[in-house]
Amino acid sequence: MRLSDEGLRVGMAAALCILVAAGACGERARQQPSAESVIETIKKRGALKVGMSTFVPWAMRDKNGELVGFEIDVARKLAADMGVAVEFVPTAWDGIIPALLAGKFDVIIGGLSVTAQRNLTVNFTVPYAHSGLGVAANRELTAGMTWPEDYNSSEVTFTCRRGATSCGAVEEQFPETTARRFDDDSQAAQEVLNGNAHAFVSSYPNPTLLVHRYGDKLFLPTTDDLARGNEAFGLRKGDPDALNFFSNWILVNTTNGWLEDRHSHWFKTTSWAGQVDLPEDSN
Amino acid sequence: MASRRKGIRLNWVDCIVFAALIAAAAYVSYRVDSVLEYRWDWSGIPGYLYRWDEGQQRWVANLLMQGLFTTLRLALWGIVLAAVIGVLFGIMRTAGRLFPRMLSRAYVELIRNIPPLVFVFIFYFFISSQIMPLLGVEEYVRNASAGTLAWLEFLFGPPKLIPNVIAGILCLAMFEGAYVTEIVRAGIQAVPKTQAEAGLSVGLSDRQLMRHVILPQAVQRVVPPLSGQFITLVKDSSIVSLISIQELTFLAVETAVSTMRMFEVWITVAALYFGVCFCCALLFNRLERRMAVRRP
Repeated sequence: MRLSDEGLRVGMAAALCILVAAGACGERARQQPSAESVIETIKKRGALKVGMSTFVPWAMRDKNGELVGFEIDVARKLAADMGVAVEFVPTAWDGIIPALLAGKFDVIIGGLSVTAQRNLTVNFTVPYAHSGLGVAANRELTAGMTWPEDYNSSEVTFTCRRGATSCGAVEEQFPETTARRFDDDSQAAQEVLNGNAHAFVSSYPNPTLLVHRYGDKLFLPTTDDLARGNEAFGLRKGDPDALNFFSNWILVNTTNGWLEDRHSHWFKTTSWAGQVDLPEDSN
Repeated sequence: MASRRKGIRLNWVDCIVFAALIAAAAYVSYRVDSVLEYRWDWSGIPGYLYRWDEGQQRWVANLLMQGLFTTLRLALWGIVLAAVIGVLFGIMRTAGRLFPRMLSRAYVELIRNIPPLVFVFIFYFFISSQIMPLLGVEEYVRNASAGTLAWLEFLFGPPKLIPNVIAGILCLAMFEGAYVTEIVRAGIQAVPKTQAEAGLSVGLSDRQLMRHVILPQAVQRVVPPLSGQFITLVKDSSIVSLISIQELTFLAVETAVSTMRMFEVWITVAALYFGVCFCCALLFNRLERRMAVRRP
């Protein structure tokens, strides 16, 4: 018995050592980016690792399974201008900020809107895109209702994508309603199509695309933006060099019109629809 | 077993049950059709399994099949690693000394009492972000020669995704290893004590006793529960999609969102998982029968 007691004590001491060591490692890993900018890491590695999430038309898969979209264009040009290769790290939207903090990639270029809350955990560059939130409503359920006053009632249910700014906008502007959160936009939209919820909130052009496809079921109660968002690159805190570099890259490409041009291509036209094999409109 | 009939003869009860099943299926599909407001469009789906590549002039796996291959690799390595963990900790679990027993007990209880989802998140953000840089997998893959890379690709899939896949494998194996540990422990403890006593009385050492007497009998007993656990592992591999491991479920979400064909993609994915798991079940059944024959 004495021997096993001793064994136990040794074991506990060992476990404690491991924990302390792991803690120390974590501390060092967190300090590293400030001592050495992520820009240097990218150059040394020869590849820019970009965290993103699938979101039409920001980033999506084409028929060949390749990534295409507004953000993909942005990240490719950014990497080309830095003289490095680009590596996309598709990440579940919920976990994209924790994944950045854990160092799974260098930067989020993923339609991330600037909010004060997010800004407490990550640094944002200047915005490279401006999105608007739109609404698609179920014709049958919202018959006779006027936008927006009738929608702010406890009878009304909105759907939105979890973790996106759309849920916040609903809560802020329609405090009486229920906001039901889904993992992705297609599930949130399906709930409205099935008549289980009144309206679906998402960034443009999503509501327009849906109404285009299910014109007999859905309509746009308003063409105004429910809210306007500023999308920016997300970076880990404590890296002024990277923040400066990325912000100025955006500044240059805003001034020369390149960002505007790509944005119009993906958001104002649907010439890319065949590329990603979206279903054909039946009406 | 002795009177095994060649053909299958149906009596009237079978017919009624069969008809009821068909009616139920028809009713469900009718209800789905009337409740669900959805435009079915299967046209693009086969293209997301395999596509014709103009450049290479051959058929290549597209997203869903790439995902399936990753899932298979995850499952295969996961099973191997979970089995190693399970046997080691399982033996420790039945050890006479307190320390190994406590250590394995702590591991099993810690994992069994945390939901898989929560474990996956904790593992990914706290443990794997410490282990992966320590292992230096990413550096190794980046600097690997073409020959090594070909081998790595065969074993773990596309080189760029190797760190990602290995994180997934570690996570799955850590998780499933706890359940395998318990199965192995039960198997060892199910061997009658008299066997150990008999072994000791002829002068076998502890190690010899385990190797030649206990383990061979335990293995036979654990094959059925273990096969069930391994099939569970294949299905559980879908959980790691949450930490963005590029396996079947993760790529299915990507495909569904990109093509706006949610249900078509999910039904296809369900069929793929079923196919894999059913094949595993058949394989394990054969293994079980083979093991049973060897029983004296």
